[in-house]
Amino acid sequence: MAAGPYNYSYIFKYIIIGDMGVGKSCLLHQFTEKKFMADCPHTIGVEFGTRIIEVSGQKIKLQIWDTAGQERFRAVTRSYYRGAAGALMVYDITRRSTYNHLSSWLTDARNLTNPNTVIFLIGNKSDLEAQRDVTYEEAKQFADENGLMFLECSAKTGDNVEDAFLDTAKKIYQNIQDGSLDLNAAESGVQHKPATPRTTLNTDQQPSDKGCAC
Amino acid sequence: MELLLNDVVDPNDLKKFRVMYEDQSSRGVPSEKAQFEYSMCLVRSRPDVDVKHGIALLEDLFKRTRDTETKRDCLYYLALGNTRIKHYEEALKFTKLFLQIEPQNQQVQHIQKYVKNKMRNEGLAGMAIVGGAAIAVGGLIGLGVSLLKK
Repeated sequence: MAAGPYNYSYIFKYIIIGDMGVGKSCLLHQFTEKKFMADCPHTIGVEFGTRIIEVSGQKIKLQIWDTAGQERFRAVTRSYYRGAAGALMVYDITRRSTYNHLSSWLTDARNLTNPNTVIFLIGNKSDLEAQRDVTYEEAKQFADENGLMFLECSAKTGDNVEDAFLDTAKKIYQNIQDGSLDLNAAESGVQHKPATPRTTLNTDQQPSDKGCAC
Repeated sequence: MELLLNDVVDPNDLKKFRVMYEDQSSRGVPSEKAQFEYSMCLVRSRPDVDVKHGIALLEDLFKRTRDTETKRDCLYYLALGNTRIKHYEEALKFTKLFLQIEPQNQQVQHIQKYVKNKMRNEGLAGMAIVGGAAIAVGGLIGLGVSLLKK
């Protein structure tokens, strides 16, 4: 699709974090490809995905960094937290240990992102009701106590997956609108792409790093 | 894929893991963990010399480790590192090895697809240069012939 230099006005950077095997890559795949990836292998380091969405009539490109959950990568994956506008923190509702580790993931997220980063808690594998190990109420309370947005999702059925990614974007957009997220600040995780005149001869689809924040 | 390939390691991380690795090396054989972490930083560094150093450390780790997961991760970063410094033939060697073990791995499939595209495009560009030179030479000969006729 050669639809001009930019067919979106903002780029939001997201990260997906959480224990290994909770379904981070499957959530990303479901969101970008609308497909469930069975037998998803362990992610090595980081994987990357994009999708353009629309919030309040604005086209926004989501640039999503999906981090490996294995401990061996923790040292390198931490560097991707910086400059994230949104963080999706995932646990598996059928494995309590993944829920118990949330406080450590949250500490990392809080320490390594900026104060305006929107953190969204996702309880994945909601299709496996019979194997549930963490109640909705318990997780909801944790989310409320820590000021997180929260949904239970299923990367398998696609249930609530769109909402998690979109609600995060809506919240970020709202923060831009009310001025609490300063686009000029370093590492805001948001780049503004001012509407580019279509007359430009530059057909390079790669956006430049320097977005005007006017 | 471009973004993943242009992603550069934080200089502080590079330094931190280098110090850890060198500290261990000075006291004997460094742990696999330290070597792996340092090489992951090196292959994501900007200077080619760093990437090459990372590749050498990964090849060494691949040989000495008995852990299949570590071997798998080394292969991935060997493919990524070689792609970053445009050693495409080498990169393909590692993606092929990886995909023999795990044919469905999308991360490696993405690298392989990217490398093959690059090789094809650069091959075409090479041919265009040769073709352009041929036309230029042809033009000169034509000019020479027309001058001789005069």
